[in-house]
Amino acid sequence: MKFFKEEHEVLKKILCRAYYEKERVKVSDHWQHGVMRRIRNLEPVESDASFFIRFQQLVWRLTPVVCLLILILATVLFRVEIVPKYGVFQLLLNGEEELSISQFVGL
Amino acid sequence: MVNESHKLSDAEIIRRVIEGDVNAFEDLLKRYEQHVLNILKKHIPHIQIEETAQEVFFRAYQGLPTVKQTGRFKQWISAVAIRACYDFWRRQYRSREIPMSDLTERHRRWLEDVISDQSDRSFHESRLQKEAFELLDWALGKLSAEDRMAFELVYLEGLSGREAADLLGWSVVNVKVRSHRCRKKIKKLISEFMAA
Repeated sequence: MKFFKEEHEVLKKILCRAYYEKERVKVSDHWQHGVMRRIRNLEPVESDASFFIRFQQLVWRLTPVVCLLILILATVLFRVEIVPKYGVFQLLLNGEEELSISQFVGL
Repeated sequence: MVNESHKLSDAEIIRRVIEGDVNAFEDLLKRYEQHVLNILKKHIPHIQIEETAQEVFFRAYQGLPTVKQTGRFKQWISAVAIRACYDFWRRQYRSREIPMSDLTERHRRWLEDVISDQSDRSFHESRLQKEAFELLDWALGKLSAEDRMAFELVYLEGLSGREAADLLGWSVVNVKVRSHRCRKKIKKLISEFMAA
């Protein structure tokens, strides 16, 4: 049996009606309590704003460590003899091949 | 308090929930439960509706901070519900738990009667019979989870490709191609069934 356009239209109407008729099915209303019970057991949802607040808190908590690191680096730099750039450039031009890293850094 | 919560906009309730007032979510749930249930009833088997409805609102609660346009919460929760249906069918197809009912001679006779009586009046006046639901389930059971969702939204529900794509989170081309292909496939399947 071959379907013609009109028959396809009828078929479409049948399928669409069956599809929409499904909305009439009754559903009990106990499931809402289940949702709220499950949600109350969770931690509150986190928004993007609360993420930034927590990030800020973390930054402040790390501040002493960062200050300490700055102090250590400053002390090291003070004790190290910094070779001027032109000196390094001159060494490279003169082909001083045995220039070690420790010499280069100035230790 | 109850009256007050009814006056609140969706955006206001969402703000309250995000600020930690979990109970405010119940207002959103009551406001949209029927809308979500109507979506689920059309897309998934009756026995799975309550469980999936719980899943939809649970996902909605967790996704609240990502709602960009709080004024369009209805569209947003519709998309959450549609994607939950799609996930349901993907799980079903993966675990091959779908009962594949077959059509019988009874269905063929019924379909022949309906098609031969093409008057709109008799069609609308008649009560939809069990065979119509079985025919729909049989036809949809022949489609993949993706095709099923696209076909239901575009062909049966009458949404545009853009609307269906927004709900599913797919491209418009994908939805259009799938729904067109499915329409042809289902017509062919039913023609073959009638000819057999």
